[in-house]
Amino acid sequence: MADRPYLWLLPVALLLGAFYVVPVADVVRLSFSDATLLRPADSFGLQSWSVTLGADGLGGILWNTAEFTLLSVLGLQLAGLGVALLLARGDRRGLRGMTVLRTVVLAAWVIPGIANGLIWQMLFSEAPFGAVNSTLALMGLPRVAWLSDPGNAMLSAVIANIWQGTAFSMIVFYAARSAIGPRLYEAAEVDGAGAGAQFLYITLPQMKGAILVNSVIVTIQTLNTFDSILALTGGGPGRATEVLSLHIFNLVFTNFDLAGGSVLALVLVAISTVLTLIYIAVLAARR
Amino acid sequence: MFLTRAATLTTVTALAVPVSAQDLITRSRVGPEDAESSMSFRLTAYDLYSSDPEMKAAFEELFTDFITARPGWKIETQIATDNINQEQARLLEQARAGRGPDCAMIDSSQLATFKNAGVLTPMNAHFSDAQVADLFPYVRDAVTDADGDLLAWWWFTDLRVLYRDASVIPDAPQTWEAAQQAGLASVEEGYEGLLFSAGRWEGTTFDWLGNYWAQGGRLVDDAGRPVFGEGENREKFLNAVRYYKGLVESGAAPGRVTTISGYDAMNAAAAAGSAALFVGGNWQYDQLRKTLPEDTFANWEVSELPGPTADQRATGTGGWTIGALSDDPDKVRMCAEMIQEIYSGEGNAVQGLLPTSAAQYEEYDAFEGPQFDLFAEALENGQARPGAPVYPEISNQIQILMGDVLSGAAEPEAALDQAFEASLAAYDRL
Repeated sequence: MADRPYLWLLPVALLLGAFYVVPVADVVRLSFSDATLLRPADSFGLQSWSVTLGADGLGGILWNTAEFTLLSVLGLQLAGLGVALLLARGDRRGLRGMTVLRTVVLAAWVIPGIANGLIWQMLFSEAPFGAVNSTLALMGLPRVAWLSDPGNAMLSAVIANIWQGTAFSMIVFYAARSAIGPRLYEAAEVDGAGAGAQFLYITLPQMKGAILVNSVIVTIQTLNTFDSILALTGGGPGRATEVLSLHIFNLVFTNFDLAGGSVLALVLVAISTVLTLIYIAVLAARR
Repeated sequence: MFLTRAATLTTVTALAVPVSAQDLITRSRVGPEDAESSMSFRLTAYDLYSSDPEMKAAFEELFTDFITARPGWKIETQIATDNINQEQARLLEQARAGRGPDCAMIDSSQLATFKNAGVLTPMNAHFSDAQVADLFPYVRDAVTDADGDLLAWWWFTDLRVLYRDASVIPDAPQTWEAAQQAGLASVEEGYEGLLFSAGRWEGTTFDWLGNYWAQGGRLVDDAGRPVFGEGENREKFLNAVRYYKGLVESGAAPGRVTTISGYDAMNAAAAAGSAALFVGGNWQYDQLRKTLPEDTFANWEVSELPGPTADQRATGTGGWTIGALSDDPDKVRMCAEMIQEIYSGEGNAVQGLLPTSAAQYEEYDAFEGPQFDLFAEALENGQARPGAPVYPEISNQIQILMGDVLSGAAEPEAALDQAFEASLAAYDRL
């Protein structure tokens, strides 16, 4: 049996083929066609690629995507690391309520993206009764155009994404922090190292692998995020918060452009694949 | 003893009737589960499955009567989501692949796409010529094809109007200039000014289009090609955009209009007492009546959307249609009968949704009142969205344009050029 592994792998290959390879192959086929949601493909060629990639607004959308992804990934790393270190410290000191804190952070993670967008839409509402602005006004601070100002709208979308995704980073970092041997910290204390030095010279180097892996995973997650932005701003004002995944959604379901949507879906897959290869390379290097 | 038995029997009967009614209507079915024949029906969540208990109960009664009169039949219901574009695109895709429901609600703005795709089965045999003749002209044109086949039934229509708190703004603004003055006056009184939709959703385009149509502008030509960015249309389009831009720049409307992507925002502002003037749909009149205290609601009045001049008026008319997607004559008949017995007429009256034929306004008491006189009058200037497959993308581009212009990210001329170019590109692809 050992010399004939393909027989055993066949069921898995068939299952993966049916549910993953066939749909992806169909997207590749559609990307070279002139198919719309209103009629099937009549001809095949490179035209949909040239038209879609040469579209005027695509540069702005890719810039939005890069901005949203970069800010989100930075925020997710910092917030996740902060909460994880807080939890680890709490555990070490035997503080009560650490499990509750973990659960509260995780609660945001299980909320669907659409609900997340709606929650933040209410919080960021610029109506006189908007929650965040009303709080700012009570504190004597000026009101902020959270969603109507194109620059602020992107920041608001990033905040909503960080709020929801922090839990995942927290889990990764908490696991990595828990794996660091306490003797390292004990030895550092004996040598007179303060909290800052311990963080810089023990915690961060020991968690380097987890930080790299988490970076790649949350980048891919963020690249695919569109539901929370759809509910929060719809991509507006104008196109200020329209990221690639939301643009694909609009292209297919508003413009009915199945071929163009397929082209951009493959672009997104390509970006995600490159990041996945980095992820694999990082894992291999760690071994 | 007799009294005890009678009381028991009464109690059992009273308990049995609702249980039976509940059994007939579930989240995915109307009628007995084991019925021999079935028709699938995709519907929105605003009637039979409404979150409003009164509405739900009224439609449950209508559906129960309907299905009880047709032994051996059941309706398998499928609830459509709120995302109209996505939902309708999916429905069309399913219908083209032969996997669609037998009968479905189709948004009036998407009806032309379904007609062009050839997925609708004519229902001529089930509606009289007189019924079709009594439809408003724009409705009749939309639901019939060149051969005179009735491909769907437009069961309710709606329109956009201007709501105002008459205690703040006593006279209805008739022109764009008067609307700006009214907005500024309300701001001086501590209100937000004139509210309207300018976020990324269909309402932004549709509510605004009346300003463009009032000047005689056209979005597409007879072949369905976008024409709004060329010739005389270009200037009319820019005039209407500048009207909105002027409202925001002058402070007559708040900058937050670019975040408004739903009519609930207007209702909420009215309920919070922060709005005294907004562009909304006719159906909001009833919502305001239910939301606001009686004495506050008494101050609210509706009027036609202001025009560039008092004589130039237009308003967008929408609504929903129901079409048969099945080739089975029995299911087409079932679909047509459901339209006539549940939705068209009775359903309009229950929901307060505007009927599409003049006779129905006389038939039901529900349509009595000064607001219905105003709606009927404004419908004279009603205009439906063009039945062109490229319309959803034109709408999308206008939403982008409006956000860019009102947030100061683009000038009207450049934004229009971009929107027009993108719409033409979409037209070429389709």
